[in-house]
Amino acid sequence: MLPMFAFLLVFTYLPAGVSLVLGFFHYHLLGVNTTFGGLSDFKEAVSYSVFWIALKNTLLYALYMIPTTIILAVAIAVLIDQKSRFYGMIRTFVLLPYITPVIATSIGWLWMFNPQYGVLNAVLHALHLPTSQWLLSPSMAMPSVALYTLWHGLGFNVVIVLSALSNIPRQVLEAAAIDGASAWTRFRKIMLPLLSPTLFFLVIVTTIATLQAFSQVYALSGGQGGPEYATTTLLLLIYQTAFQYFHFSYAASMAILLVLLILGLTLVQNWISKRWVFYQ
Amino acid sequence: MNSASGPSRRLMLKGSRVVISLAIGLAFLFPLYIAFVTSMDTAAHVFVYPPHLIPDFNFHPYVRVWHMGRWMMYFRNTVFIAFTTIVIALTTSVFGAYALSFFQFKGRNVVFMLVLLVLMVPSEALLIPNYVILHEMNLLNTLWAQILPFGGSVYGVFLLRQFFLSMPQAYWDAARIDGASHLRFLWSIALPQAKSALFTIALYIFIGSWNSFQWPLIVTVSHNVQPLEVEVSRLMLAHSVAWRRLSAAGIMTTMPLVILFLFIQRHIIRGVSRGEGINE
Repeated sequence: MLPMFAFLLVFTYLPAGVSLVLGFFHYHLLGVNTTFGGLSDFKEAVSYSVFWIALKNTLLYALYMIPTTIILAVAIAVLIDQKSRFYGMIRTFVLLPYITPVIATSIGWLWMFNPQYGVLNAVLHALHLPTSQWLLSPSMAMPSVALYTLWHGLGFNVVIVLSALSNIPRQVLEAAAIDGASAWTRFRKIMLPLLSPTLFFLVIVTTIATLQAFSQVYALSGGQGGPEYATTTLLLLIYQTAFQYFHFSYAASMAILLVLLILGLTLVQNWISKRWVFYQ
Repeated sequence: MNSASGPSRRLMLKGSRVVISLAIGLAFLFPLYIAFVTSMDTAAHVFVYPPHLIPDFNFHPYVRVWHMGRWMMYFRNTVFIAFTTIVIALTTSVFGAYALSFFQFKGRNVVFMLVLLVLMVPSEALLIPNYVILHEMNLLNTLWAQILPFGGSVYGVFLLRQFFLSMPQAYWDAARIDGASHLRFLWSIALPQAKSALFTIALYIFIGSWNSFQWPLIVTVSHNVQPLEVEVSRLMLAHSVAWRRLSAAGIMTTMPLVILFLFIQRHIIRGVSRGEGINE
């Protein structure tokens, strides 16, 4: 047991403490002149305008991601919740992107997003719909990142909803059908309430994952968070501040604010869930 | 809908379910397919409109990627990091979980709670402090910097502890009477039965390690200790229009995982159904 604790101690408990300390001190990697700075780094963090842009981007991104993830996951799961090899294969296809490396698979997407030669614009053009600049447009860049992330992570959500669906007793649904309940009524009145704990879990997991968005933003914006800061998420800003500009204390303050944001949102969601999640 | 519908209507519903499911499944495969096609395009087929969708089976881009960087070195690094992390994390998890289930000592539950507490520390809170700690340990820019922080797996401890606790106490009593030590019991009796749990843990660590990007990006600067994902991200910045080579690099990084997934997807689906995400 001791070896395990050694690792957790050095790489989790200690850093968690160091993190708090760093937020309050001015730390210099190469020197010994670490000084107590109190709240000054936090003040600097919130007075920096890019911090607010990054906060807005991150929250907006969560706003795109949470409803689409949940709705699409339920829709696809209900659609493919059939016992046959064919639907098993579809489930495999949907889950496959989830285990792929983000940087490597974002290359194919970058190519698809290409405004001139990409598949997405070709499809839109063929359907006589307006084409888009995708990642090059400040207003479409974040939705494009969301599209990539949906492709990458939706399978995880679908498989979880599928496993929750398999726990719903078939007799209940059949009894409702015999009593004349329509497919929509059965979904709305039976499946949805029984799924609600699972959906709540997915909302929490998706929220945390989207607030931590980094790799896909890095890959799709060439490490810049552009155009015009449009895809600068909080974690990307923290990375740039700490590891490109070497303002460690300042970045640590932002990291603490991000952790508080995640914690706060999770608590709010927990509170809301008490009102509508149905636990058996 | 059942009451008014004849067999033809039901057949149509079934047919449209198959068609829509197939379309969704193929949509999830498509981004991997387009990267595959682009990686094998002949030069004349890259910048064309509408996009070229049938592979040319031209392996030239792969050969160029192979010779351009030191691909084998990055591959070796990635494999070394993944397997060493598995060995260390499995060892610490086994001993940790064993102590937490077969030893009776004061404060055992407190210790277990301390382990679970780690789950609540978000990874971005540890980013900067872990960097500082590795700096102080003179381990920055080494392979070990990418291994040691993941040497303690809470998920591993949790899963193995569950398993050990479910083992009948009589096994241990019998082994004790035959004069077996704890180590002997662990090695010859407990571990062989825990094979499936060990495999699942190793699998998750492997995928997480292979796909990790942010941490290696932060703690390494020398090419000779970096994994594939970091090399691919550098290629993306340096050769942003060499789509065939980039796609080839992406496919070469993704393929090992896709092949692994096709063999062991049942394990992954079972893990995901329990709500276990892969940490990246």
